[in-house]
Amino acid sequence: MKKILKWVGIVAACLVVIGFLAFLYLIPPFDLLPREAFSNPHAEAVASSLDKIDDPVERAIAQRGQYIMSYSDCSDCHTPQGDQGPNWSEFLAGGAKFELRGIGTAYTRNLTPDSETGLGGRTDEEVKRVLRSGISHDGRYFHPTTMPWPSFSNMTEEDRHALVVYLRHVKPVKHKVPEWSSESSDALYLFYPYDYAEHEKK
Amino acid sequence: MKSFYKITHTSLVLWTWIALTADLTGAPVDKEAASQPAAGKTAYETHCAQCHGIDGKGEGPASALLNPRPRNFTTGMFKFRSTESGSLPTDEDLMAEINNGLHGTSMSDWSPFIKGDSLKQVVEYVKAFSPRFLQEKPRPVHVGSPVPYSAASAAAGKKVYTKLQCADCHGTDGAGTGAVAKDFQDEWNFETNAVNLTEPWTFRGGASSRDIYLRFRTGVDGTPMPSYAGTASDKEMWDLANYVVSIARKPVWKMNENEAKEFYAKLDAEAKADPVQRGKYLVRSVGCGGCHSRYTDDMHIVEGSQLSGGLTFDLYPFGKYVTRNLTSDKETGLGNWTDQEIKRAFTQGISRDGRKFLPFPMPWAAFAALKEDDQNAIVAYLRTVPAVHHKIPDPEKLNIFSYLWGKFRMLIMKERIPSPAYPMKEEEDQQKPVSKNSSGAEKNFAVRDERAKEVRP
Repeated sequence: MKKILKWVGIVAACLVVIGFLAFLYLIPPFDLLPREAFSNPHAEAVASSLDKIDDPVERAIAQRGQYIMSYSDCSDCHTPQGDQGPNWSEFLAGGAKFELRGIGTAYTRNLTPDSETGLGGRTDEEVKRVLRSGISHDGRYFHPTTMPWPSFSNMTEEDRHALVVYLRHVKPVKHKVPEWSSESSDALYLFYPYDYAEHEKK
Repeated sequence: MKSFYKITHTSLVLWTWIALTADLTGAPVDKEAASQPAAGKTAYETHCAQCHGIDGKGEGPASALLNPRPRNFTTGMFKFRSTESGSLPTDEDLMAEINNGLHGTSMSDWSPFIKGDSLKQVVEYVKAFSPRFLQEKPRPVHVGSPVPYSAASAAAGKKVYTKLQCADCHGTDGAGTGAVAKDFQDEWNFETNAVNLTEPWTFRGGASSRDIYLRFRTGVDGTPMPSYAGTASDKEMWDLANYVVSIARKPVWKMNENEAKEFYAKLDAEAKADPVQRGKYLVRSVGCGGCHSRYTDDMHIVEGSQLSGGLTFDLYPFGKYVTRNLTSDKETGLGNWTDQEIKRAFTQGISRDGRKFLPFPMPWAAFAALKEDDQNAIVAYLRTVPAVHHKIPDPEKLNIFSYLWGKFRMLIMKERIPSPAYPMKEEEDQQKPVSKNSSGAEKNFAVRDERAKEVRP
């Protein structure tokens, strides 16, 4: 009897270990989720906010901007990552980290219209200047291997305008992203897809 | 004999020194300005070198994906001037370009950041890249008596537009789609195109009648746009400028509801009618080339390698993935893929052989948002990208134990593990990507560049 129990115990322990390893193997990213789950999962969540825009012209332009944002995949770097993939409740609120040898450490910015931590305090022209020339509001550069502004500079001015109009209608999120620093590690180029913003203690 | 040699040597040095000083004092640059280039160095390297390069050749780290390309200062050739065709620009021209930027390009308006003395110093530093500024003086054009804008002047300008055959390049409607306006290259062997004259907010040199007049009067050096001085009278050029002012369309930010909707519908229709153009726009503005290119060891894109793949992403604990060759090369690129296979890859993340991509760093999930027409357009454009033979290795996956351990570190120990990216290791016998700048003209520029090096302080 004791022997059977012992064996049952061993088998159960083995199953637990194997189950755990299988869980590790299959857990996202990304074999447990259907591939559709990654296909533009945020589109619905953000589209509704555009319907509330009163001015029909602004709505049409913002919709164009939303389309540009979706295929340009701004949210890939600018939406903070939680434990289970992107944290959609903080859509476009920034916080991931880049380290470039000899250049410094940069964090993806908060693109929501929050006046304190986001783009609320920036003029349209300042935002467009980033997308067009990679120049920040204070005259600093965005490095092209972090923020791909050289590509976005190929957009027409009208599409860039649409993108900015859209960003003005994203849900504002208070999410303070650390400032750029000139220190970096010795590795050539590192991307940390995690959230480095300061979160208020709840 | 030895002493004779010494004497000759000394006198040679002396003569060179005299010659050099004489050249400097005789140069059109005044003493104060001559001391300025060094002062402009810091501002130049802080603000300008990112695109124009430390050496002024227009090959800075951000330059490879820009259209149009940043100016190569070492040739001393500038497009937007108030001076005769082929002449140097004035200091005021250069200052205006830095202050206002060049609309429709990535050249920003620098007025908030480069001011006062600093602006002058940057201009002097930019001029120092080319020996031409020491040898020649700018020859400003005489701007005749302006013809103020009027409907009559614009109507007269329309006739000039026909007479000068502007429509050949700029189209009868001025939208830049004339029959000849295909595959234009500029003096630097980069693609250039006839400007769309109905969008004044993209006019590089400004959109006032005077600005437009100056383009006809001075030409746009280095491009197929000639100077019409001598071909057309001063009045004709002013009328033509007024005509161009008159055909401006409304930008989307000034449209009403119907106009905006019609405008977007028109864009969609144009995209369908000319998928290659639309695809080029999408591929460039999304930035496929940002990852699908070869990089140098200090992370600059190798010229001519755009879209041929070659950036390695080390995605722990999944393995090493190298961005693929998207050019039309049959063996190493997408040449043998069907349209459906290409579309499935970039919208569903499934490769030709059925292998599935990770959801990052290739953002196929985002590209799933592309409309059907836009997907087709991207495929149509990729078909036209010149073949670059560049073999990309298959992904290198970690063994299952390392993979499980990596997942454990990520998910249970909650370690924040970074993903490095670096240039892929090239095989020795790998054929180098064909540089766009390999035509005969490059030699001329190489010689000029050499000369520029010699004179630069």
